Amino acid sequence: MKKSSIFGIVVIAIAIAIIICTYGSASSYGTFTDAQKTSGELHIIGHLDKQKDLYYNAQKDANYFSFYMRDTLGKECKVVYIGTKPEDFEKSDKIVLTGKMDGGEFHASHILLKCPSKYTQDKVDVDTKKASI
Amino acid sequence: MDIAYQGEHLIPGHLGQFFIILAFGSALFSTISYYFATTNTNNFDNSWLWMGRLGYYVNAVSVLGVGACLFYIIYNHLFEYHYAWSHSSRTLPVYYIVSSFWDGQEGSFWLWAFWQAVLGNILIWKAKSWEKPVMTVICLAQTLLTSFLLGVEIFGTRVGSSPFILLRQALEAPIFSQPDYLSFIKDGQGLNPLLQNYWMIIHPPILFLGFASMVVPFSYAIAGLWQKRYKDWMKPALSYSLFAVMVLGTGVVMGSRWAYESLNFGGFWAWDPVENAAFIPWLTLVGAVHVMIVYKNTGHAYFTATFLTLISFVLVLYASFLTRSGVLGDTSVHSFTDAGLYGHLVVDVVVFLVLAVTVIAWRWKQLPISKKEEETYSREFWMFVGAIFLALSCLQLIVVTSIPVWNAIFKTHVAPPTNPVTLYNVFQAGFAAVITLLTGITQFLKYKKTDITRFFITSVIYLVFAALITGLVVYLTGVYKLQMVFVLVMFGSVYSILANVKVFADAIKGKVKLVGSAVAHIGFGLMMIGALISAGTKTVISQNANGDFGDDFAKVGNPKENIMLYKYEPVKMGDYTVTYYGDSVSAPNHYFKVDYKKIDASGKVIEEFTLKPNSQANPKMGLVSSPDTKHYLFHDLYTHVSMAPQEAFATDEGHDQENDDANYNPPIAHEMSVGDTIPYRDGYIILESLDRHPHIENIPLGANDAAVGAKLTIVSHGNIYGAEPVYLLQGKNVFDFARKVDDAGLKLRFTKIIPEKGKVEISVYMQPESKRPYIVMRAINFPYINLLWSGTIIMIIGFLLSIFRRNKELKTV
Repeated sequence: MKKSSIFGIVVIAIAIAIIICTYGSASSYGTFTDAQKTSGELHIIGHLDKQKDLYYNAQKDANYFSFYMRDTLGKECKVVYIGTKPEDFEKSDKIVLTGKMDGGEFHASHILLKCPSKYTQDKVDVDTKKASI
Repeated sequence: MDIAYQGEHLIPGHLGQFFIILAFGSALFSTISYYFATTNTNNFDNSWLWMGRLGYYVNAVSVLGVGACLFYIIYNHLFEYHYAWSHSSRTLPVYYIVSSFWDGQEGSFWLWAFWQAVLGNILIWKAKSWEKPVMTVICLAQTLLTSFLLGVEIFGTRVGSSPFILLRQALEAPIFSQPDYLSFIKDGQGLNPLLQNYWMIIHPPILFLGFASMVVPFSYAIAGLWQKRYKDWMKPALSYSLFAVMVLGTGVVMGSRWAYESLNFGGFWAWDPVENAAFIPWLTLVGAVHVMIVYKNTGHAYFTATFLTLISFVLVLYASFLTRSGVLGDTSVHSFTDAGLYGHLVVDVVVFLVLAVTVIAWRWKQLPISKKEEETYSREFWMFVGAIFLALSCLQLIVVTSIPVWNAIFKTHVAPPTNPVTLYNVFQAGFAAVITLLTGITQFLKYKKTDITRFFITSVIYLVFAALITGLVVYLTGVYKLQMVFVLVMFGSVYSILANVKVFADAIKGKVKLVGSAVAHIGFGLMMIGALISAGTKTVISQNANGDFGDDFAKVGNPKENIMLYKYEPVKMGDYTVTYYGDSVSAPNHYFKVDYKKIDASGKVIEEFTLKPNSQANPKMGLVSSPDTKHYLFHDLYTHVSMAPQEAFATDEGHDQENDDANYNPPIAHEMSVGDTIPYRDGYIILESLDRHPHIENIPLGANDAAVGAKLTIVSHGNIYGAEPVYLLQGKNVFDFARKVDDAGLKLRFTKIIPEKGKVEISVYMQPESKRPYIVMRAINFPYINLLWSGTIIMIIGFLLSIFRRNKELKTV
């Protein structure tokens, strides 16, 4: 067998390994109901329930933050995050959580906020108010 | 109905839009002219060539014109233009106006087009016999690039996005029905605060110069195949590829330096899609450079060299699709939102991919692909293997980063890995280990045929040395606690440095032309070591629990990384005693002053310094924090405020006496005589003496008035403060003047004189815990991070030396 063919096979094997590993480590988007069924981590998209309290008290514990989120199916769940409250959390309109269920609480290891203000700032708020007076 | 708007400056916009159309038209004209110049068989007819050149000159001038108009608009705060309104403000210093050029998509496309115009002109000047075919491809790229700026409706769809669109055209709001709407728009939205950093003035131009210069080797490859000059194209392309790799590499590292200094994720690399997108084409072009050299020396690996050169530019375009189309959606904070360019970006990628594939397929049978096998003990074979591994590492990055793209193509709904950083780290470390080892081993091999015995002896000696040094370094720095693959990277890097130092030493003695690659490899090895140690063994020193490494490298739980500091209350953190002791506001930034003290066993202060991490309350992005870092030669101390109470940002104006008392707990009255001490929560207060002639501002004392001051000393957490509240009897009226000691959270009043007891009454107002200012912060120690930065500089020098060498070869041949 030629050396280049052996090398070719090795390369193809690594390429396949990459794809399988990616597929294997890829997570899935789910809901809180899905999270209750699995023990692994998954991503949940939802939005903050602004009716309920956010809890963060740096003086008690600077690394504990909890809030209530509603997933895409409308199910609500308490979410706990070990860390500080992300800046401008209240303004977020969409949240992507990574984490898993622990008892009745969802323990998030990562929170990604999608703020409407952040990149699509196309609102002329202040000015329109002034204009209407 | 048309409204006659007042106060608008429409001329710069119209002029700019004219330049955009002209730039697009001239690029298209130039493409066609150069194409016919290339296919024209009559060597005496240069008319097509002249038209092509003319077109490109016009294009370059128009691109400059676009830039000038845009600059004029931003500089003069013409907020009737959407671009100026959304990316700048009146308070923006002039040097950041350039940064607002790349705050938006249109500005960064312009920057890219600008560099491509510059490079095209250099090629017209330098490329000689290559000019016609190479410029055909470059003009095509320029045509597509400028089309992104058009913003013109063609057959009902908008093509491109113009920076000269007016605010009232971009947004819908009732205000625009008023002719004088502009008088209500006082200021723009301002520049993204994260871009208000000096690195952001220099990093984007370098990065885009890197992106733009990738088109040159691509064009040479296409031209070579098209003109059947299969072997010739690599010589000039090699110099340009080295240049592109050097500049893009510099740009990427500058970006990570910026991230390290102004972002708060606590590191210099996060495998974010935006970072990966710039890194991917760099990897393939580095691979291409190596196999080009292989082909030049041995005639092997022709196809790999061509393929990697072509794919690098296609990947640059793919990268711009990833970051600009909005396809990343839920997976990245950084991605631009879709500016309506999704389809346009796809077309751009497809055009050049199809061009590359077609040209290869067209010439496939004639490609000088060698039928002979490389020798196992030859440099070319292992350089080739290294290039393939670079491509594989690139493949892994593409496959994982593109998960949202696969979702879009296959209509699936797969989420990215839950811990992508670990996945990338492990995979990329595996490839890095192989690649660094190869950059060492190949130094002991020769092209074509090597003396096997000698090769084994030298390489094994160096391997043993490298193993010893690695063992030592790994033990001292704590890298051994990480997974095995990271130790292997360390081994590979050390080996690569040793081998290349040998080459360097030999080169200085005589073979000067080898200096470039040796220096670049040494730099790369140092970068790897620096990145590995600093990212792998960084320690969060603000964390309350154990001192284990972050979870991206080793598997530990979710440590509590943040620490809370009350103002003026020193807290022990690692080797330091830290105190949050003050704020300074320099609008729009709010700096938190944190004092670091290192105290030895005898209680002596060995070292003391202040770090000022800041937060900016930005109308566009909310609260944005930036870290501050103390740089040492061998490590960095990084400090970042993760949270501060809203009150910290309130100004201290306008609260009167009664409201002020609400900021304190109910007062406690103490009867004291001179020399008495009263304890309070944070320390104690001593009444030193009574002062018969206290100073009271703005109140002249009459003959019958009596004033007494109480000289107090407050000792709180080792700090000593003085205060003198005053008691005043003016006629029958009693007044007292409270004194505040903000630093100790106290307000003190001299409320009564009790002559019968010979005592006075001092009322102590204490700030409640909840009102006391505090910050929550995170501090990280990055060991040996300077190896990363210095390695980068050394690598750049290596690239420069190589470019000089290859250019010399070009001239002599």
